[in-house]
Amino acid sequence: MGMLDHAWLGVLAVFQGPAAFSLFSLPISFTLLLVFAGFVLGIVVGATPGLAGPMAMAISLPVLISIFGYSSDALLPVMGFLIGVMKGATIGGAVPAILFNTPGTPDAFMTTLDGHPMARAGKAGKALRVAHFSSVTGDTFSDIVLVLCAPFLALLVEAYLDLPEKTALLILSLSFIAAVVGGSPGKGLISTGLGLLAVYVGSGEDFYPRLSMGTETLSRGFSVTTAVLGVLILGAVFEGMQETFHDHRRQPGATTHALTGDQVLRFADIRRLLPYIGQSAVIGTLIGALPGIGSTLAATLGYTLGRTRHQKHQPAGAPGFGDGVPEGVAATEAANSAVSGANLIPVLSLGIPGNAAAVFLILAADSIGGFTPGPSVFRVPSEGINPELVVAFGLFTAMFLANALNWTLGGLFMRSMGVMTRAPKHILLPIVLLLTLTAIYVQEPRMEAILFALAFGFLGYFMRKAGISPLPFVIAFILGGTLEQTARQAFAATGGDPFFLFASPIAAFFMLAAVAVIVFTARKPVT
Amino acid sequence: MRTGLKAAIAALGLFAMTTAASASEWTPPGPVKLMIAFAAGGGADTQARLIAEELEARTGWSFIPEEATGKGGLTMLASLKDQPADGTVIGMAVTEALGYNMRSADMGLTPSDFTGLTTTAGFQMGIVARADKGWTTFSDAVAAAKSDGALRFGVMSPKLDDIAYLLGRAQGIDLNIVSLKGGKEVLDAIVAGDVDLGFVAGIQSKGVAAGDLVNLASGLSAPLAQTPEAPTLADLGVTPFNADGYFVFVAPAGVPQDARDALARAIAEIVNDETTKAGGLVKKAFGGATTIMGAELDALMAADYESAAALMEAASQ
Repeated sequence: MGMLDHAWLGVLAVFQGPAAFSLFSLPISFTLLLVFAGFVLGIVVGATPGLAGPMAMAISLPVLISIFGYSSDALLPVMGFLIGVMKGATIGGAVPAILFNTPGTPDAFMTTLDGHPMARAGKAGKALRVAHFSSVTGDTFSDIVLVLCAPFLALLVEAYLDLPEKTALLILSLSFIAAVVGGSPGKGLISTGLGLLAVYVGSGEDFYPRLSMGTETLSRGFSVTTAVLGVLILGAVFEGMQETFHDHRRQPGATTHALTGDQVLRFADIRRLLPYIGQSAVIGTLIGALPGIGSTLAATLGYTLGRTRHQKHQPAGAPGFGDGVPEGVAATEAANSAVSGANLIPVLSLGIPGNAAAVFLILAADSIGGFTPGPSVFRVPSEGINPELVVAFGLFTAMFLANALNWTLGGLFMRSMGVMTRAPKHILLPIVLLLTLTAIYVQEPRMEAILFALAFGFLGYFMRKAGISPLPFVIAFILGGTLEQTARQAFAATGGDPFFLFASPIAAFFMLAAVAVIVFTARKPVT
Repeated sequence: MRTGLKAAIAALGLFAMTTAASASEWTPPGPVKLMIAFAAGGGADTQARLIAEELEARTGWSFIPEEATGKGGLTMLASLKDQPADGTVIGMAVTEALGYNMRSADMGLTPSDFTGLTTTAGFQMGIVARADKGWTTFSDAVAAAKSDGALRFGVMSPKLDDIAYLLGRAQGIDLNIVSLKGGKEVLDAIVAGDVDLGFVAGIQSKGVAAGDLVNLASGLSAPLAQTPEAPTLADLGVTPFNADGYFVFVAPAGVPQDARDALARAIAEIVNDETTKAGGLVKKAFGGATTIMGAELDALMAADYESAAALMEAASQ
């Protein structure tokens, strides 16, 4: 069976999987239903300031696993839901940014610059339509690139990278993430180091538990759920609570602006916007394919390059970026949405997550089992089928399904989400806190898990306060085990060569690049 | 007075009936926690969960499967040891965890801390390589190592690590022994070319049948069911050690005899029945169930623990 047969099986697995119910005697599979449910939840969460897609993914994952169990049938419905959330949240974030000048997600900040002036000028409807169209176009483009590139890259890795090179590649990824996420490479390295320290407690190959300080409690180590949900979600909740406490006296009432004039997105508009969307989609996809660089940078770059282009093509005196031009909204939204598909290229082909959403997809695959993101996913056996490849194509199908929902229903849902801005944070945050703790306990029913998660939550809070991004921590925690194993295996396989990381040109190049990326980003920019 | 007597007799009769019933038909006093020492989604984890599912369907008892992975099964065993010994907590591991791993960890655990319930299946441990390497027998691999230098040999546990070392020594070849997590990873590494050959415990059967893989040797004391002509470890000069091993269900020490019997019997019935999902899986991957229980299992566990010391001694020389 070739690659295409697997692709077809993947499509069938999504549509003909276990049926949830029948609609006009047409069986609707659980996967379809869950992609849709995730998509709706994603839009709602994205449109709510203070909540974000990863939060919804984190909380729903253990709940979904407890419903669908650990069989391989559970993979597509559960991951389909997460993909739905991821896709929905990308378009939802623009809503409060445009309507109320409050970005729903951090990367929607640039959308406020032109989106909100448009809303003030009575063009809120049009701004939302522009945001929707650009966002979905960027996303779809990115997904196509993912489907074309991931298998190719995976096969390349399989063919050329041996154990020492794989080890060096992991080190390069960690150093790259440390260097580019957050303010400074120093803070990134602290975050990465803390993540590695945490994952190495209680783990390792020896039967004697490592770094447990002689206690039974630490000897089992920290589970991924407690560490990731603690640092990423609880940390954000604690920070949000503190901000709410500070802000609640001076919260301005949200004002709405009446709509005036034409709100429809005309074909002429689309033609005018397409160059901006295209340019940003390419930027977003390129940035997304590199692990660790988030959609915020993509949005900033897309916006800046869009502005340059706009200045070149507009007559002097015409309204520019920042005055409420649709091009500004289009350039931002296309760029930040194009990140999400390409972000899965390193996940699926190398097993290296690049952002928080990808972390939860890896977590889902890890907890359910039967699907290990990495090069082996794309191996085509000479006889029989590779079930992991079928799952991979099932995931691609789920992504395109979510895109189809985005194209058809997304705009409609999105325009009705303005009300979410009024969701009171002081009620939302405790709910998220409770749900997260419940989710952790469901996954790991012992009291220590809750205590660990709270401790990681405080760690995440203080890291945020010190301006240290928690993302390198989380990615280091996820990759730490793999890094150690691969390094041990490479060392053993080379017959105990202590310089195995420098013995081959490719590995040596990766190691050099790992150092270079830190050195170059640490240098102060010349001003 | 008379009514009182009648009532007393009736109560006595009822009491006698219930005790009689409980003597023949043990049922767990609550839901049974099943601690699984294997990573979620792997073959062993699936086997454990399918057995639990079928047990629920057949007996009406309820099971709560829980992952307790790490340290070659010792994480699970260490936490199982302190659980109530009334049949409400059981665990699934491999016999190697109670033998070599327990001995080598030296953390105060011995097989006598546990009650063996039953094994479910024996490994079909083969030394496997990719067919396109051109090796058809183990001696081809030995020849390749002698002409081209060290071979990479994948193993999935410290015991197999020692055995592979002894094998290399007996054959006079250099083996770079690479530890991987579980049989699936060893198989993946063989297919990807990260290692040249390695120990795989049964999941190679499909690839061998398809002609993609070859069983170069048996890691067992007996020949492999699928490739009976392949030499055993003893034929290759590794004596008296072998990689014989089984999946085993255990409970904490001191579980009442009726609970031990009832649980062991119920599990064995399921894996021996090839029409159940669990039985079908065992048949497919391991060629059928092997259910060792009672005194025979006690002897097996004790012997594994004892022989582990000899293996460590031999490999440290």
